[in-house]
Amino acid sequence: MLKTRLSKILASIFLFALIMGPGPGLYLVNPSPDNPSTTTFLGMPVLFAWSSFWFFVQAGVVLAAYRKLWTNDDDLDE
Amino acid sequence: MTNFHILAAIDIAGGHLPHFMLGNYMLLLVWLCYLGYRKGKATEEDYYLAGRGQGTIVTSLTIMATFFSSAALLGIPGVVYRDGVSFFLFALNLPVAGVAVYLLGDRMRKLGKARGYVTPADLVGDYYGGAEVRLLAAATSALYVLPYVIMQIKAGGYLAQRLFPDAPPLEFFGSSFTMYEAGVWALSFLTMAYVLVGGMRSVAWTDVIQGILLIFGMLVAGLATIAYFGGLGGYFEAVSALPAKALSAPGYSDKWNAGMLFTICAFASLGSIIQPGQWMRFYAAKDSSTLRKSALVFAVVLPVCFLFGIMLVALGGQVLFPPEITAEGIIPHPSIGAKSSEVDQIVIVMIQRVVPEMLGITFGAIVVTLILIAVLAASMSTADSNLHALSAVLTRDVYDRFIRPQADERERTWVGRIVIVLATMAAVALVEWSQKAGAFNPLELISQLMLLAIAFSSQLLPIAIDVLFLNKGTRKGAISGLTAGIGLVLLLTIKPEWSFGLTKIVHVSAVGIAANAIVFGFVSRATKKVPQKRIDEFRRIIKSKG
Repeated sequence: MLKTRLSKILASIFLFALIMGPGPGLYLVNPSPDNPSTTTFLGMPVLFAWSSFWFFVQAGVVLAAYRKLWTNDDDLDE
Repeated sequence: MTNFHILAAIDIAGGHLPHFMLGNYMLLLVWLCYLGYRKGKATEEDYYLAGRGQGTIVTSLTIMATFFSSAALLGIPGVVYRDGVSFFLFALNLPVAGVAVYLLGDRMRKLGKARGYVTPADLVGDYYGGAEVRLLAAATSALYVLPYVIMQIKAGGYLAQRLFPDAPPLEFFGSSFTMYEAGVWALSFLTMAYVLVGGMRSVAWTDVIQGILLIFGMLVAGLATIAYFGGLGGYFEAVSALPAKALSAPGYSDKWNAGMLFTICAFASLGSIIQPGQWMRFYAAKDSSTLRKSALVFAVVLPVCFLFGIMLVALGGQVLFPPEITAEGIIPHPSIGAKSSEVDQIVIVMIQRVVPEMLGITFGAIVVTLILIAVLAASMSTADSNLHALSAVLTRDVYDRFIRPQADERERTWVGRIVIVLATMAAVALVEWSQKAGAFNPLELISQLMLLAIAFSSQLLPIAIDVLFLNKGTRKGAISGLTAGIGLVLLLTIKPEWSFGLTKIVHVSAVGIAANAIVFGFVSRATKKVPQKRIDEFRRIIKSKG
């Protein structure tokens, strides 16, 4: 596990997405109930935009791992 | 005509559209069950693992369909309807589970194939040695499976109520059954029948149909909701006008803070992907490539179905059917239900409002029925996998090891079938009891049951990671860790106040895993190691091309 540079980078991005998306990073954008103007971003609920963005980051990491790390059985340890 | 009676009122097939389509769906399942039975061999490995030869399409769809329980189409949208957009972040657990399908699943598959494993306890019991680890792993599996089967059966009752809202109670052998009870019995009986007859092959083949129905249902329902509001702009304008509490964390119930969401995404996701039914699907996969592709499909397709499908439906439901915040809690709109637990029915009510608006009454009614059948499919595909897994666990890990070790393969397969019948009957009895129990109802919300079940299966995570990656643990460490983890989850489920508020900040599965891992680590440092020869053998198999 995590033997190559790419695997370390991808794992770090994935973990970062997890911390930023549903984790404490959520409080960077969480709207204040006292200030309704903060509840939207580009016309959509800000938490919906936040969830979607971090999902695309996670999906990108999985796609990169699928193409570059998981390509043959010998690379499993990467 | 109210929107909720559209199926009963529409004049297609003489007013019997739901009966006709439901009948065809069930016939299709019976046919797949028959095919599975014909292709099957009378061996335990074939009954439980379909001969370890399942390809990519079957594996990816059966893993998805097993994961997509009634919680996906009822429970999770119910939470979004109740609490608002904060619960969308829950969908980020799915890519984590997807990655685990390959990273954990492929190692399990290789070991399973090389050493003939059928259940999770086979693997951990073989690695650590001794009966205690095997029994504890089997107990953990059973603790996961029972709440999950109960949850699916309950959903069958809800669905029957909505599919046939005006139907009178059914009279059968002198007894009267409400539509709810008829739905519970019908789902249980049909699922039990095809698991009994065809084993893993029938379960996986029906899962393929059910998985396709589920993806279709979740995405079409989302599209119809957006169309109902006049497109994406209209939809977002309407939901952005919801109260600020619905648009921010921790939501109306004050439950979805970052700690809770993060621990669900990081730990509960892994717990649900190493549940016994999924673990056995990893054993059944043909090769590494199958699991690699399944992992990609799982990590990308499932979150799309949630984030851009079913969750949008539930949030739109807050606009059309605003819940009421009272001193007793969050009460759904009267069109959804009268009790707080009935928030689970938001999708069923919403699709009957929005789909005919997009597709017209006639075609809309057909699609509504298909989506309702998808809800049924979600329940059946999870119930079948869990009943099948419970049968393997109790037969292989308990009956064969401790009751009748001399039993042959044929006897064990029959015992497995008896377990399926008994487990189904017990689950139906519990659902009926909880329906009549009045004030005391331990099976209140579908989503609560799902998270409780996952908390139990998560306790297999520390030992699974040790066996597959670390090889540092010991038998006594595994026993102590599992006991501590399961014990703590049970304790905090019964007495949540004893967590001193911890389970309000993080999910109980993470508390259990933390206790489990700490005890496992400390005890392993002080006790006798697993023989190096066994560790080397496991590492050799994992590194092989298998």
